[in-house]
Amino acid sequence: MSEAKFFSQEWADAVRDALIAGPSEDAKAGKLQEYWDFFELIKSMYPASWALGCRDLPPEIGKGPAYLRVQWAGGTVADCEIIGPDDPLDATYVLGMDYADWKALHDGYDAQRTVMYRKILLEEGSLLEFFKTIYFFVESLAVIGAVPAHYPELAVR
Amino acid sequence: MTERKSPTAVLHEGPRALTDEQVIQIEESDLQAVLDVDIDDVIEYVHKDLKSLPDFITLYRKYLKQRWDVYELDFTQDKIDWTEKMSADERESFIAISSGFHHGERQVEIELPVFMIGASEEEKLHIAAQIEDEARHTVFFDRFYREVVGMPGDDIMAVLDASFPWVSETFVGPFGLLAYQADELRRNPYDERARVRYGTTYFLWIEGVLALSVMKVTLSYARWRGFLPAYYTGFTATCRDESRHVQGGMKYLQDAVRKDPTMINEIHDTLRTILSLAGVASRRIYFEPLGWTEDEVTMLFFQQLRRKLNDVGINLAPDIEQMLQFVQPQLAGG
Repeated sequence: MSEAKFFSQEWADAVRDALIAGPSEDAKAGKLQEYWDFFELIKSMYPASWALGCRDLPPEIGKGPAYLRVQWAGGTVADCEIIGPDDPLDATYVLGMDYADWKALHDGYDAQRTVMYRKILLEEGSLLEFFKTIYFFVESLAVIGAVPAHYPELAVR
Repeated sequence: MTERKSPTAVLHEGPRALTDEQVIQIEESDLQAVLDVDIDDVIEYVHKDLKSLPDFITLYRKYLKQRWDVYELDFTQDKIDWTEKMSADERESFIAISSGFHHGERQVEIELPVFMIGASEEEKLHIAAQIEDEARHTVFFDRFYREVVGMPGDDIMAVLDASFPWVSETFVGPFGLLAYQADELRRNPYDERARVRYGTTYFLWIEGVLALSVMKVTLSYARWRGFLPAYYTGFTATCRDESRHVQGGMKYLQDAVRKDPTMINEIHDTLRTILSLAGVASRRIYFEPLGWTEDEVTMLFFQQLRRKLNDVGINLAPDIEQMLQFVQPQLAGG
């Protein structure tokens, strides 16, 4: 079976399954149980949605900016879909990231510094509310980045 | 340096007045003489002027007298202490704490320039000086990690990458928040409410609480054991720099609330976010090899936060008081 293409609906479906399953045992190793208990507590009651944008999708994938919209409800992912640049966008938090940083995340760059170094940025939504659950977001971002997908190579700039 | 009082002795002493001689020693020591300054006195000195905060020109003039050359430090003895005298447990605990500073100093350096845009002309001078301070502190840790810990790297980021595995996952709480608040200011640098929220994270929490608490852990250890003289000298000089930063930051927040009392809501909302994250740890850090327990570090956190708030006259809402009971030590600072 060939890998889903980054920012395709097949990829979004795989992201949904990965988020529902949660971080791998490898990811959990080395971190305290209380940290993961907090993660699960947030996940069980998280009511918000994220629109995770790619500002500059390579042309072979589609037109940018496009968004991966993740709706959380009832402790699971209620909806996970790709929103194109011409589609209406409705999410609690809208964030944006360049394709190169999406690819770096997929290639193993850590999610914590992806946030801390402002590779992904909050474009819409309450900053203080968003950060109350930042550990949940960062660990989820790591899960999303690890989902197998075909990421086209970047053209040399 | 010789062995001195235990690292945690000051926890039980409470606030105390510094003598004129102690203040002069702290304010006027050149870099070499900083080795003889007691870190507990420097932390006490941070609070000395909080009740009647100095203006920004006074802080800028202090900066001009107190700035130091990070390249004058000689880490030769530190390298010997690190490799030959410190135990593996001591090194592991030390690096687990200092890595938060290695990255924290870099973060507070790069996130500060946007705050200058909306500041008064006098405060701009103080912030410009603070940015230079933070750059120097970044170089200090870069040198310590290269020359003492032995982490190689072609450039500053390579050494940061090498120490990152010791940085706790919860670091992104306060420092990610600061990064995003800086971006909020980049988009609207004159938004006074956003500036107060940013100032609460940067000056009150990261510098006033996290940094001063955790600085004390490694510095008290170094002084108690008589180890790492260049680290002690440079980081104590850093703490003296931080006293100006905390005083300037508290002055900014105090002035903002006096000018518009509803700004207290921005401080409270920011603390609610910070404290909702501060009750969670992702790693267990063993402070004991450095002469501390986790409970003692937590007590130090509380002391630092309470003193800042009391001295500058900021009251907490009841729900925030409740949240404080669940705070855990965050091993980082800037």
